Amino acid sequence: MGLIENLKSYSEEIQISDDKKDLLDSFLSNGFPTTKDEEWKYTSLKKVIANEYNIENKGQVVDDSVIEKYSLGFENQIILSDGKLINIPTIKGVSISGFSEFESNTNDSILNLNKSLSQNGFTVSIDKNTVVESPIEILFISTTESNFSQYRNRISIAENAEVKFVERIQNLNNSSSFVNNFTRINCDKNTKIEYNKIQNNTSESQLIDTVNVYQEQDSTCDINTLLFGGSFTRNNLNFEQNGFNCESNMNGVSVLDNNQLADNHTFVDHKSAHCRSNEMYKGIYLDNSRGVFNGKIMVRPDAQKIDAFQSNNNLLLSENSSIDSKPQLEIYADDVKCSHGCTIGQLDADALFYMRSRGIGVEEAKAVLTYAFASEAIENISVDQVRLLSKKLLAQKLNVELDFSV
Amino acid sequence: MSDKKKRSEDELLEKVTSTEYKYGFTTDIESDTIPKGLSEEVVRIISAKKNEPSWMLEYRLNAYKAWLEMEEPNWANVNYKKPDYQDVIYYSAPKQKPVLDSLDDLDPEMKNTFDKLGISLEEQKKLANVAVDIVMDSVSVATSFKETLSEKGIIFCSISDAIQEHPKLVKKYLGSVVPTRDNFFSALNSAVFSDGSFCYIPKGVKCPMELSTYFRINEAGTGQFERTLLIADEGSQVSYLEGCTAPMRDENQLHAAVVELVAMDDADIKYSTVQNWYPGNDEGVGGVFNFVTKRGICYKNAKISWTQVETGSAVTWKYPSCILKGDNSIGEFFSVAVTNNFQQADTGTKMIHLGKNTKSTIIAKGISAGKSNGNYRGLVRISKGATNSRNFSQCDSLLMGDKCGSHTFPYIEVKNNSSKIEHEATTSKIGEDQLFYCNQRGIGTEQAIALIVNGYCKDVLNQLPMEFAVEAQKLLEISLEGSVG
Repeated sequence: MGLIENLKSYSEEIQISDDKKDLLDSFLSNGFPTTKDEEWKYTSLKKVIANEYNIENKGQVVDDSVIEKYSLGFENQIILSDGKLINIPTIKGVSISGFSEFESNTNDSILNLNKSLSQNGFTVSIDKNTVVESPIEILFISTTESNFSQYRNRISIAENAEVKFVERIQNLNNSSSFVNNFTRINCDKNTKIEYNKIQNNTSESQLIDTVNVYQEQDSTCDINTLLFGGSFTRNNLNFEQNGFNCESNMNGVSVLDNNQLADNHTFVDHKSAHCRSNEMYKGIYLDNSRGVFNGKIMVRPDAQKIDAFQSNNNLLLSENSSIDSKPQLEIYADDVKCSHGCTIGQLDADALFYMRSRGIGVEEAKAVLTYAFASEAIENISVDQVRLLSKKLLAQKLNVELDFSV
Repeated sequence: MSDKKKRSEDELLEKVTSTEYKYGFTTDIESDTIPKGLSEEVVRIISAKKNEPSWMLEYRLNAYKAWLEMEEPNWANVNYKKPDYQDVIYYSAPKQKPVLDSLDDLDPEMKNTFDKLGISLEEQKKLANVAVDIVMDSVSVATSFKETLSEKGIIFCSISDAIQEHPKLVKKYLGSVVPTRDNFFSALNSAVFSDGSFCYIPKGVKCPMELSTYFRINEAGTGQFERTLLIADEGSQVSYLEGCTAPMRDENQLHAAVVELVAMDDADIKYSTVQNWYPGNDEGVGGVFNFVTKRGICYKNAKISWTQVETGSAVTWKYPSCILKGDNSIGEFFSVAVTNNFQQADTGTKMIHLGKNTKSTIIAKGISAGKSNGNYRGLVRISKGATNSRNFSQCDSLLMGDKCGSHTFPYIEVKNNSSKIEHEATTSKIGEDQLFYCNQRGIGTEQAIALIVNGYCKDVLNQLPMEFAVEAQKLLEISLEGSVG
């Protein structure tokens, strides 16, 4: 029995509205996307969905020490245990509540599944003119073994507000868990948001993470994805710019080893003129790991004066690692500057030799160069704790005891 | 932007979009045509008409059966009304096929056609030192320089002649690079191809001249299914030119060619194309559908270089590819694709690295004007065994006018950690500062655009052989007239 059968039997037990039932039925009849689907060409879900999962979220009590272990120690903490809110911070001008219903685009089957089944997640609204000084930390903890869970979250930021988030999904046991996480972010006029994702889950964890960002005039949105752990990770990051002078920034660092697979999909839809987007994804692949990158920039007709930049750089550091990259431009307006660049290569042998001839060991020398490669993207993160943590995790992954933080 | 400048740019665009196809005329030559439609019967008729041996008929029938099971692909980023394959005439040959001792025996009508195209055979023979194998519709009617070539042991003839005279070579290599079942259009071509060129360069021979073929679609409603097979044996060298112009037609014409190149150890093939099929009128009516499969295979130390200048066709769908099978082999792709009015092009290349130390270079320049859409679609695949392989790709797009589109879809698949791959793509329009710089120095806007476009395409045009570079520039001029001097 695989996940589809689990879902089928689960769907017979639950009581959901007719709309949701229709969505679920159509999902179940089509199944999960396969590699024949262009968007899933290089990433096969076959193994992931062959596993047995529990669909129900039972949930156990979470110890404070556990929270301390995985938290970065910010004062504002939203903590969810198996999707249920267990801690809500009180912040002036910010209202936080649990799961709420909202629409999402229906042509994405994974999102349809999420919509039809999810009962968990959080809702955050930031009032007009509110500047949240300290970052809001969001910690998803899952306690149930072999669980397939859907989280559905919504963040709305009203005019002139500013906020930063740090998100982390953590599995507490070593079973193979599968999370389908969806976050919708609405940025009103002149807002500023930075959303940091730390993906360092256990080695059996599997994740499909989708973030849809809708931006209005003069808004700036940064999404930083730091991917270190988990056996299977698929990130879908979609931006829609609906007003003048929007800016969308994406930074991604993936450091993979063993048999990890990471697939970063990004899509920037420039619907309005005078907007910008910057994208920088760095991939470091060790052991038998596999990377996939698919970045698409779309400039709609009449969306003139767009500056869109995308770069994807990859280091293949072991014989059995591989990468499939698909940077795409789809441009329907002429007065634009759009470019993408993609490189795949190794560490510079001359630079390695230089360091080794000065008495730096080979592992350390490699680590220094690899760190330098990744730091370009890491340095764009404004939250100190996140930057430090990623440096620490990078050193851990490279198996060196170097302190990159100095 | 000042009003005046805006106006002059608008005028330019107006001019660009109102330029009519200059090579639109029909030659009045009686043709031997079979009824429309495709069936096993038609495949048999084509084979019988060409008096082919039974293995060839079998090859065609297998291809036809494979084609029946296939679906027309629709993944390309182009929109067009799918041709009705039962509404196409699959065979048409000028009725007389004279055996010519000299060009003076050529049908004067046909000769006129070539003169209008600016390819005077005499001139080419005498001045350009080019051997021309002209394909008028589907059967080749004139071959020159055969003697000079045969002295070196080079075989350069129509593929139908090759099937008769060199069956061993054809049987061995036909379909070896592009298998019958490769794709929908290659299967169709394999079933019904009427004629094409065959070329064999023996071991260690450097072809003393540029080999060249001119294709023309002539008979209304005739799909042209060309088949080209070029084999360069060990250590040989050849440069092959292919040029296309087609007369104006209102209905869409189908062109599904297959080109196969085989570069044995240490061989070097340079394949250049200037394509200017009828692009349709400025409302997007008519025009040629150009669905071509071009692929070459490189053995040890071999090199294949594709150069193309694409200015014509309503819909182009073409990916000249290199399979770098042998160690140290090299693949190159240089392309300029111009689209105007309602033209659509989805073109690019595939570089499949299999051998060690293989290298590939991709330079693709797209120019979109009017309401056209240009796409670059390319694949670079480094397989596990392709140690130390290297790829560099550069795809630039130039947009002229605010109604056109330009898109880039590269696929990069790397399974080897000692390879280096670089890909970059940019999309922009002609910089106002560049134009201003030229204007300031007394260069008119039109000339300035010409200057900039020429500079933009230089990397590719430089790759063309002398004889072709001139024609290519002429075609660029025609397709973007008003903006290119």
